[in-house]
Amino acid sequence: MVTIGWRLRRLAQALFTVWAVITLSFAMIRLMPGNAMGAMMVRFEQQGMSPARARELVELRLSLDPDKPIHTAYVEYVLNTLQGDLGTSVFHNEPVVDLLAAALPWTLFVLSWSIFISFFIGIAAGALMAYWEGGKLDVGLTSWAVLMGSIPFYVLAILLLIFASYRWGIFPSGGRQPTGVEAGFNITYIRGILYHATLPVLSMLVASGVASLGMRGNSIRVLGSDYLRVARLRGLSDYTISTQYVARNAVLPMYTTLLISIGEMFGGSIVLEYVFNYRGLGLLLYEAFNQRDYPLMMGGFVLITIAVVIALLIADMTYSWVDPRAGGQNSDSY
Amino acid sequence: MTTSQSTSLDDPTAADPVVEIRNATVRFGMERGESRVLDDVSLDLERNEIFGVVGESGSGKSMLASAMLDAVVEPGILDGSITYRPEAGDPIDVLGLTTNELRTFRWEEIAMVFQGAMSSFNPVRKIDTHFVETLSAHDYDVDEGMERARGLISDLYMDPERVLDSYPHELSGGMKQRTLIALSLILEPDVLVMDEPTAALDLLMQRSIVSLIEEIKEEYDLTILFITHDLPLVADLADRIAVMYAFEFVELGPTEEILQHASHPYTRLLLKSTPNLASPIEAMRPIEGSAPDPVNVPSGCSFHLRCPLADEQCVEVDPEAYSVSDSSVSVTGSDSDSDLSPDSDATSIPNSDAGDHVANCHYWEDAPETIPMTEEWDVEGIDAIDSAPGPSRTADPLVSMEDVEVHFETEGSFLDFFSEPDTVQAVDGISLDIYENDVVVLVGESGCGKTTFGKTAVGLQEPTDGAVKYRGQDIWDLKRSGGDGTMSFDTVRRALQIVHQDPGSALNAHRRVGTSLEVPLKRWNPELDGNDRKSRIVSLLEHVGMSPAEDYIDRYPHQLSGGEQQRVALIRAMLMNPDLILADEPVSALDVSLRVEMMDLMIELQEQFDTSYLFVSHDLSNARYIAEKTGGRIGVVYLGELVEIGRPEEIIHDPQHPYTQALRWATPEPDFEGGGMGGESPIREIDVPDPTDPPSGCRYHTRCPEAREVCTREHPEPNEASAAAYHEAACFRTDDHHEYWNSPSITDGGD
Amino acid sequence: MTASDRDRTDPGRAEKSHESAVSAIPDGGTVNSPFEVVSEYEETRRDRLRKLYDTYVYAPISIIKRDWRAQIGFTIVLFYVFMGTIGVYLIEPTYVTEGPALAQPFETWEYPLGTDDMGRDLFASVVHSTSEMLKMILAGGLFTVTLGTVVGGIAGYKGGVVDTVLSSITDVFINLPGLPTVMVLALMLPIHGNPYLIGVLLTIASWGGLARAIRSQVLTLRQEPFTEAARSMGVPSHQIVFRDIVPHLMPFVIINLTNAARRVIFSAAGLYFLGVLPFSNHNWGVTLDLAYSGGAHYRTGALHWFLVPMVAIVGISIGLILLGQSLDRVFNPRVRARHEKKFAESQLEEVDPDSDDDSEPMIGAA
Repeated sequence: MVTIGWRLRRLAQALFTVWAVITLSFAMIRLMPGNAMGAMMVRFEQQGMSPARARELVELRLSLDPDKPIHTAYVEYVLNTLQGDLGTSVFHNEPVVDLLAAALPWTLFVLSWSIFISFFIGIAAGALMAYWEGGKLDVGLTSWAVLMGSIPFYVLAILLLIFASYRWGIFPSGGRQPTGVEAGFNITYIRGILYHATLPVLSMLVASGVASLGMRGNSIRVLGSDYLRVARLRGLSDYTISTQYVARNAVLPMYTTLLISIGEMFGGSIVLEYVFNYRGLGLLLYEAFNQRDYPLMMGGFVLITIAVVIALLIADMTYSWVDPRAGGQNSDSY
Repeated sequence: MTTSQSTSLDDPTAADPVVEIRNATVRFGMERGESRVLDDVSLDLERNEIFGVVGESGSGKSMLASAMLDAVVEPGILDGSITYRPEAGDPIDVLGLTTNELRTFRWEEIAMVFQGAMSSFNPVRKIDTHFVETLSAHDYDVDEGMERARGLISDLYMDPERVLDSYPHELSGGMKQRTLIALSLILEPDVLVMDEPTAALDLLMQRSIVSLIEEIKEEYDLTILFITHDLPLVADLADRIAVMYAFEFVELGPTEEILQHASHPYTRLLLKSTPNLASPIEAMRPIEGSAPDPVNVPSGCSFHLRCPLADEQCVEVDPEAYSVSDSSVSVTGSDSDSDLSPDSDATSIPNSDAGDHVANCHYWEDAPETIPMTEEWDVEGIDAIDSAPGPSRTADPLVSMEDVEVHFETEGSFLDFFSEPDTVQAVDGISLDIYENDVVVLVGESGCGKTTFGKTAVGLQEPTDGAVKYRGQDIWDLKRSGGDGTMSFDTVRRALQIVHQDPGSALNAHRRVGTSLEVPLKRWNPELDGNDRKSRIVSLLEHVGMSPAEDYIDRYPHQLSGGEQQRVALIRAMLMNPDLILADEPVSALDVSLRVEMMDLMIELQEQFDTSYLFVSHDLSNARYIAEKTGGRIGVVYLGELVEIGRPEEIIHDPQHPYTQALRWATPEPDFEGGGMGGESPIREIDVPDPTDPPSGCRYHTRCPEAREVCTREHPEPNEASAAAYHEAACFRTDDHHEYWNSPSITDGGD
Repeated sequence: MTASDRDRTDPGRAEKSHESAVSAIPDGGTVNSPFEVVSEYEETRRDRLRKLYDTYVYAPISIIKRDWRAQIGFTIVLFYVFMGTIGVYLIEPTYVTEGPALAQPFETWEYPLGTDDMGRDLFASVVHSTSEMLKMILAGGLFTVTLGTVVGGIAGYKGGVVDTVLSSITDVFINLPGLPTVMVLALMLPIHGNPYLIGVLLTIASWGGLARAIRSQVLTLRQEPFTEAARSMGVPSHQIVFRDIVPHLMPFVIINLTNAARRVIFSAAGLYFLGVLPFSNHNWGVTLDLAYSGGAHYRTGALHWFLVPMVAIVGISIGLILLGQSLDRVFNPRVRARHEKKFAESQLEEVDPDSDDDSEPMIGAA
């Protein structure tokens, strides 16, 4: 029984978080020791510019006027950010928004496949483990899951790079699209994209280990429930029982785990894209760090955070649609 | 709603069993050895009868239910034979069915209703899908089936459209239970097995459902196996009753026979240990000892350890089923062809059905004499008994509540502009004085606010309006001001204690008994050192019968039985040396036969510690037991209001408020004298109205059979209900000159 | 509840207690009742110590002894602790050109795990990385668990405005994406490779999930009858929180401690691999970084350069997961009771020993 009030409250909370993150990034740019603005000024001056010129450039890049009193600057920064003006990249000399917008789809592409496949594997493996609880398959899969949970995705990424790419030459060692093929909706190009995304997606499959252990626990709980016993006595088919009873009730709690892992995977894409030299949001951010390209760096940070906020907002808002019991009283679904 | 008059014993076509169970045994292999959780049970379920199976928890009665459907959970092994005889067609050997045949057999021929209706539905699917999927799984016509479902649901006094369109969590417990009954009948089975179908429900709902079962049985031509721990409840319904003890039947016979001529000592003791409204409280006695563990069932008669009649023979020879009518000839339950016994001895064998009455006891003939149902009982009967004198209620009250209100706002304050916040009026203007050594028992349906009111009385819930005073001081003022020199909030805190319903969760699972019991002593008796504290705890534990106490203090709560846990919780409250204890359904989590014992212990401790009790109970029999034994009062709560209060004599025998009369009606009574009971249901609506939107005027008018037009607009205030002392009721009918008497009735066209 | 417990209830008990009933007691501070009848209960210091030993030493060890997961987990973690503490004194630190470049592992005792392209001994490098990693794990794990439990506990128990404020702050941190936040902060803050600070920094975005979970558990626990009973006995709030509520959260907290530790290792090694964290010593992540930039993924004979730090990372995570999964049993009173000497013989649990093993693996929780 979700109330409108609850949805509004949840929305307000998300807006509060976005505001807090923007404020945080402003503070980092402006107030922290070694803040971005100071560092950029110093750099431009070292490049032989006059302080006035440096200031001008900084203002242009960060969309932040260093001379204005801090509160005015803050208000301007927040407004600019909310309007999508994240400044101009120092290195690329392009608006940060454009750069991010160009890179984002590639990252989303890899992440959505990773999440989809790893949760599919996790749910299937977890269900199998629960069904044969205590059997050989259970022990085997549990050990596999623990091992998967112990391997950082970048370790798997490096191993895949070494073997699948350099040693055996099955997959390309880097890049995001085939060279020499015209971009567009043609089979060669799409196959090339998939081909390049395979190793990054496979690396992220370590997440399936954790997911399968969660699914195992949920399924065991459902298998022992009263309603399952009644359903069996009512003579429902195994298919109905496994899909409508076990799967639906056991997968429900996984839903929020899934959306939370989106946040973690976004963060992880920095390392992942670095390993595979995959030009997406992560690699863009990594380069921004290395080049101390503050506008791009902070813009990417704000963008990723907003993406996570939206993911979690969707999780909360739609959870009541997936689970009729959730709602106003239960704002702790994740 | 109408109830069929008392169960007719019109002989169901004799020797036409619909289910024959022979030597059913269920075994579990355990580390400690093999356990038999159903031991060689044979039974003929006659067509169109209601057969009651009575047993305490852990007696194997649920296993019998599972066995009927060959649905014993793994790794249990079911032996014996179960034969189902459909009205037309060949008998079916249930245990010989293949998986697929079994799938068809269940629910189409024999269906089952579980105790756990709360968890019997898939939480993420609407009710109608449960019906649809059952119909299609059995290849029934769905449209036709859903039509039948709607019929069933409205026969159970619910709105079919609303129920079918709900998710399980949107229905109340009573509605879920009735929906489950409808679901069990959707495929038109011949036999319905009901395993404690009402145990989790209030008395009024229980009684209503029992009446519905009678109606439904007639309408749908059912045979019902009704399993319960509650003998009086099933006595009102069943044609025949079997009593289970230690995984086997100990006595079986027609209901009247069992009630009036119980021949197994266990049955007799069970009847005596069950609090009820009719027999004098002196007659109620606990059964000593406890039921055996399935691995170590005693040799010979499994009851011999607890039986007052037991001798050598009982230890060595497992008694067969002795026919009670035909002395000393051993017959099996199925041997019913010989019911030609002439009415030779009319006093002991009132009718020919007695031929079916068997008891597994070597000394069944001696049992009635050794265990009389009416010991120390003035035969003049019920009217002659009078409760204990009770405290003087003239001095200043210990705790007094003045017009107390507790309103809960449901979630949705911050930023919630659009919806009016719902307010649950848990307690709405109750005034009550509790005196020194006083006992007040609050009764009412669940959700009526009696527990909230109780917690308000002991300062655990702050009232939203009104005052709670301890010895004249407003306790919440005291808490805020920090005391005025004469009294501090600490004093109040110490004086008012609580004992919870579920002893398992009232004790911290991570702390040993000793550590839990040390808490009040550490807090309030800092002068005691560790050994002093331990000594006091040990002597208390021994006093309540938990010895060796040195062993008990090192245990964790999960290593105690429910009764022991409740004793520890009780001791813990007593160690505070309180003035008033709120006992929130302290016995409802315990087995029937342990309840009287626990209530006796509480009463004994009350005398020793000089405390007062505020009991909360949904069971009028328990309320009467406590109140009568201590000279206390019973207060009846309905939707946040105290509708009637008085001494048990008045509340039980001269109830003035129609709601009290309904509770009285709902309380099952074993009928030792014959004659039957029951009668018309005195409520017009089965379900309690929504507490967030209580009815106007008198809150009971929506269910009251006596409601008149004035009741819908005017709110009755409590006033003198009868000549008896302390008897008050909030009903216009107590005032002979009220305009009520001229107001038109609203019940005629009612549902 | 077992049958043996019930059987102890002497059938003739009720009568006895009636006989022993003594007159009513006057109201007042002291109790003169049958309850005062002091039984000869004498507990010596020795008894008490024995009980403490039984509860806090014998039972946990015996639980661990019976559980293979715990055994393996403990062995692995102890091994790492040994490397990080005593190992650094036994193994000389390595230096550039200590040995030949890219010596293969398992060939000489001098460089048991081989060398990198600058001739540094990888074994020595792993050992000397351990202590710094352990410091990060310790700092990060404790930070997460402490902050998460305290914030979640206070928000849940106090409620009201406190709850609203703390929950809002928690929500902001839940929404922060882990790695980018750490990178930005590492760039801005003067942490200078201090392992404790890095550990805290790495978990700055991860305590929120725990706080939120703890909060909702506390909300449930504070409604439980046993906390209500404690309140009615006038037990102060802080004691209720620490003695009644926290023990119930321990299994959950322990799992989260090991999860946080794992997260610290993963993030630390990942960020060192990216080369965005300042460092003063080599560690597993730095070695990965050097190997990657040294082209070990395409050079022949350099595979071990990657594998050695990888095995170090994966090994300790396996140890932590197994430990986390088994440690929560130590806090389960049912399991404990079964393992204490005193009841070891008298226990007649109706269920098989694993049935209470509902400690479903929660390595993904929070």
